[in-house]
Amino acid sequence: MVNLVLNENMKIYRRVRTWILVGLMAAFVLFVNFIEWHSDGKQAKGEGWRSELKQENRQYREILKQPKLGEEDRAFYQEQMALNHYHLDHDIRSTDGTMWDGVNGSASLMIVITIFVIIIVSDSVAGEFSSGTIKLLLIRPASRVKILVSKYISFLLFGLLLLITLFVISIVVNGILYGFGYMDLPLVSMTADGQIVERNMVINLWKTYMLNGISTIMYVTMAFMISSAFRSSAMAIGFSIGALFAGNIVLEALQRFVWSKYLLFANTDLTQYLDGHPFQEGMTLSFSITVLVFYFLVFNLISWLLFTRRDVAA
Amino acid sequence: MKNEPIISLSHVTKRIGRNTIIDDLTFDVPQGEIFGFLGPNGAGKTTTIRMIVGLMSITKGQILIKGKNIKTEFEQAIRHVGTIVESPEMYKYLSGYHNLVHYARMVPGVTKERIDEVVSLVKLEERIHDKVKKYSLGMRQRLGIAQALLHRPSLLILDEPTNGLDPAGIRELRDYLRHLTRTEGITVIVSSHLLSEMELMCDRVAILQRGKLADVMPVQDFTQGNEQAQTYLIQAQPPEQAVAAMRDMEGIKEVKLAQGGNVEVTTERECIPDILEGLMKNQIRIYGVQMVSQSLEDRFLEITGGGPIG
Repeated sequence: MVNLVLNENMKIYRRVRTWILVGLMAAFVLFVNFIEWHSDGKQAKGEGWRSELKQENRQYREILKQPKLGEEDRAFYQEQMALNHYHLDHDIRSTDGTMWDGVNGSASLMIVITIFVIIIVSDSVAGEFSSGTIKLLLIRPASRVKILVSKYISFLLFGLLLLITLFVISIVVNGILYGFGYMDLPLVSMTADGQIVERNMVINLWKTYMLNGISTIMYVTMAFMISSAFRSSAMAIGFSIGALFAGNIVLEALQRFVWSKYLLFANTDLTQYLDGHPFQEGMTLSFSITVLVFYFLVFNLISWLLFTRRDVAA
Repeated sequence: MKNEPIISLSHVTKRIGRNTIIDDLTFDVPQGEIFGFLGPNGAGKTTTIRMIVGLMSITKGQILIKGKNIKTEFEQAIRHVGTIVESPEMYKYLSGYHNLVHYARMVPGVTKERIDEVVSLVKLEERIHDKVKKYSLGMRQRLGIAQALLHRPSLLILDEPTNGLDPAGIRELRDYLRHLTRTEGITVIVSSHLLSEMELMCDRVAILQRGKLADVMPVQDFTQGNEQAQTYLIQAQPPEQAVAAMRDMEGIKEVKLAQGGNVEVTTERECIPDILEGLMKNQIRIYGVQMVSQSLEDRFLEITGGGPIG
């Protein structure tokens, strides 16, 4: 089994294509962070954060005076104000103007990781068929299930590599742009029951990574299924990335139907439970996890059935 | 042990939808034999080979390799098999060496030394660290042979191994297969559309026709046939007169003008001296007499009733 994973890794990393993707990943992080720093990060440097927070709170107070403000928005601004007060009272600077602002912002680039892993995954099974190497692969004393599992593990490792690239580069580039100060700055946030707590910035960051990673895993599993089912990498890439982007649009259109909460897209983003605004009333974290586990099992079952049962003729 | 077949097929049937692709194949191949697989296009040679190596499922019947069922004991059964498929498709973006490492990792007990050994066996030492996309077809074939031999298989299965090889390469492959069967007792199953090659290579051949086993026999029986009459080519001048003269002679089954001013005559061996004497009496000059042994191809067409070979 270890050998099979080594094989799959060899097929991933001894290809120029893979390193182009890793390079692109690094380039994206650099580019996005530089633009961000250039457009507004620069001003917040130094000790200006106090006046900025005070300014923000004044704005929020004005907004909260509006009678027509929705309940959700009201709660949001009240929470922001409470957090800003906490910063000022405890003399903890906000992340604005520190490297953490950029580092946390870079977490949104996880979507690039999803796309890149989908590209590699889609080609992994379909590519073996289109190049004909599948014939020599399946006539070895390794069952098809083992081969499938080893491929799956290799994708997770590749995703992890991209994630570490994202993490390291975003730390380094933001450190250079904003200075490596405030390393131990805590993240001030509010828990679901209204308590303000200080959290470790790095741990929180990895928590965000992992929650976003679940969505990556779901789309990758989907790409893997399509790749095994249709043996076409173009189809797998197209469908999966299409689903990734179209998912939210479809969701918005379907939100009024109760059953839409059972859709994959409604549950992939688990961070919706961090800020307490789920897609539909009554959805809970355990509900989403159950739905995700169901899709995960179905996708893998289909991949497994199609990959292990089918005749290799071509 | 010697007499136990390396591979045995019993009542192997393959259906895809309503079509029966392979119909009730039963045969054994003993150790050390080179067993040929012949048949026209679509007869089911490739399907049979794919069922043997587990790429295709078996609808009915069973295939045992060294007594292990390919369906239920896949890993133990396939361990003894090395396969070369028509055009050995390798990972083009990897070097030849890494391709071999890839396959070596999938079988327990293949050492680095064994990889080097196989590389030198197929004479790829100088180019083994180049990417496969830079290889010529012949080199890819040799790499294909290398991957099949890595794990010292007892059974070597070759599907159209001569595709893309030049005559020298084919000859080398043939000699090498002979060598393997003699010295290491490897059993070989080979399918090819080059019948003359099969004739030189195989001990026994099986003819498949429309998914059914038409015949299995030693290759000598095959080419010599049963009938007494043989075809001879006589170089005679002038050939037209020779044909005319022979028409009147006794013991001649058939005579006709062949290419290049030769005369083709079908007769029994015993009649040859009389025929030649008769021709000389007719002032016909004879430059040579040659026996045309019936080739596998002729027999093949006879059995399968013509049609394309492949």
